[in-house]
Amino acid sequence: MNFKIDRIILIMFLGITAALAFLPNFVESEYLLRLITVVIFWIGIAGCWNMMSGYTGYIDFGPVVYFGIGSYVVAIAMTKYGIPFFPSLFISGVISGSVAFLVGIPTLRLKGAYFAIATFAFAEAMKQITLEFDRTFSVSFFQGSDGITLPISGHDNSFFFYCVLPVTFLVMLAHYFIEHSKFGYGLKAIKEAETAAEISGVNTTANKLGAYVSSAFFLGLFGAIEAYWITYITPSDVFNIQKTVQMVIMTLLGGMGTFLGPVIGATFLTLISESLGARFVEYYLIMIGGIIIVAILIMPNGIIGSLKIRKKLRFI
Amino acid sequence: MKFGALAAVQMVSFSLNPGEILGMIGPNGAGKTTLLNCVIGIHKPTSGRIFLNQIDITGMKPHKICRMGLAKTSQIMEPFMAMTVFENVLVGALHGGRMRMRLATEKTEKVIELVGLKQYAYKLSGSIPVPARRRLELARALASGANILLLDENMAGLNPHEIDEALEILKKIRNSGKSLIVIEHIMRVVMGISDRIIVLNYGSKIAEGFPEEVVNDESVIKAYLGDKLTSLKVA
Ligand SMILES: Nc1ncnc2c1ncn2[C@@H]1O[C@H](COP(=O)(O)OP(=O)(O)OP(=O)(O)O)[C@@H](O)[C@H]1O
Ligand SMILES: [Mg+2]
Repeated sequence: MNFKIDRIILIMFLGITAALAFLPNFVESEYLLRLITVVIFWIGIAGCWNMMSGYTGYIDFGPVVYFGIGSYVVAIAMTKYGIPFFPSLFISGVISGSVAFLVGIPTLRLKGAYFAIATFAFAEAMKQITLEFDRTFSVSFFQGSDGITLPISGHDNSFFFYCVLPVTFLVMLAHYFIEHSKFGYGLKAIKEAETAAEISGVNTTANKLGAYVSSAFFLGLFGAIEAYWITYITPSDVFNIQKTVQMVIMTLLGGMGTFLGPVIGATFLTLISESLGARFVEYYLIMIGGIIIVAILIMPNGIIGSLKIRKKLRFI
Repeated sequence: MKFGALAAVQMVSFSLNPGEILGMIGPNGAGKTTLLNCVIGIHKPTSGRIFLNQIDITGMKPHKICRMGLAKTSQIMEPFMAMTVFENVLVGALHGGRMRMRLATEKTEKVIELVGLKQYAYKLSGSIPVPARRRLELARALASGANILLLDENMAGLNPHEIDEALEILKKIRNSGKSLIVIEHIMRVVMGISDRIIVLNYGSKIAEGFPEEVVNDESVIKAYLGDKLTSLKVA
């Protein structure tokens, strides 16, 4: 194990985060600041998926459900109960995490494709519930397909930059912790050989649940931030499977179960879509599809994953 | 223990005394692996009880049983491929031994030294040869600090020289005060190292006793040794 490289990367990571914290003072262009915020936002979200699926090998195909729950909790807390944004944000994370705890106990017993299908089904079910709940019970709570309009924040882009940055920072810090802790070795052991992990003393159920709940907690925070940012949510937006797909592709592209995988994958994909999207409005999705296919063919373990193997690095 | 209608192990009772090496033999499919998998909680026995120091551990989760001091090596070898040998063993120390990182690292170094895996320590476990993988299984179990080790054909596929080395390691382990159950097809190993031997056939225990008793037991000769009798006399 090369702890020296690990330290250097940690210091670089802390340094970059600290430098980023001053960014809004220097960036004049609102567009640029918004773009940077979006990149950091996606790094965090892809990181949430990586935390669970990248390290344990359990392919979660419904992470968007916790994002959506976060959005709805913040919206309902603010509009129906008049709770200010930051407490509501926190409640979103806690409720997302709690739901993940309850859902994880039965679903994490499933293996492989069955787990993927179960999580996917749960996400779709939540979308349907928020759509149909009010009509079924003749109440006005989720407001079905009408959606909920949040109080206008009146904040500028730098406010959301400062919301997103610390959460993504925490997600990345959690990655660093996973890479160097007992918990993380438990997760990696589960990914490699679950029975062998269990008989070596790894409490596989608790470790998987830990990863699943932390991932959901952070996703809830991101969902809440986005809801407050765009101020209008509907079930089909916040529970959109497109978000799941994006998290998965970003992480695969960067490298599953690696520290820098989500960072590289999310940055790459967001910037590519942004630059191609502006120039080739009609074809850019096809082009992105092509780029993804080529990248995966050349680097089946993702950009960082392949680099790790080629350079025999243990941690990045 | 039943798999559907197949009774893989039935009506077997045995005990292991502290500091003892118990040999377990029997033809392929006799139920040896299944029996020990019941002991460590991989299978929930359909009937019967298992006690560890008077505590009933039947149906407990394997990780709990491991932390209580019962660790098994796997016949089919399941290293954590993407991890180095060192990290594989570290998992046993961290989780099975419930140690903090620093202590676990020290423990791992010691265990790797003991089983002679030093030259492979920083290699990926998927890339090392079979004899080293066998030792890795042993090291991972040892790192958990278990007092009782269950070795399931841990010497399969080794050449005579490697077997001698492995025997030396087992003796060291025994002298450190641990008890062992050793499943092995290699007669030289079982006869040489076991204090007692039990014999399984078609899921039942057909004999138990000192090595020399078992070898001369008629039902054992008939059920298991039959055609191997000549080679046994030579040994
Ligand atoms: N998971 C399982 N499901 C169904 N049948 C099983 C299972 N595991 C083992 N068996 C069956 O149980 C019986 C006992 O198998 P077991 O692996 O315990 O034998 P063994 O004595 O360890 O043999 P060997 O010397 O070949 O390792 C065999 O008939 C086997 O096919
Ligand atoms: Mg066997």
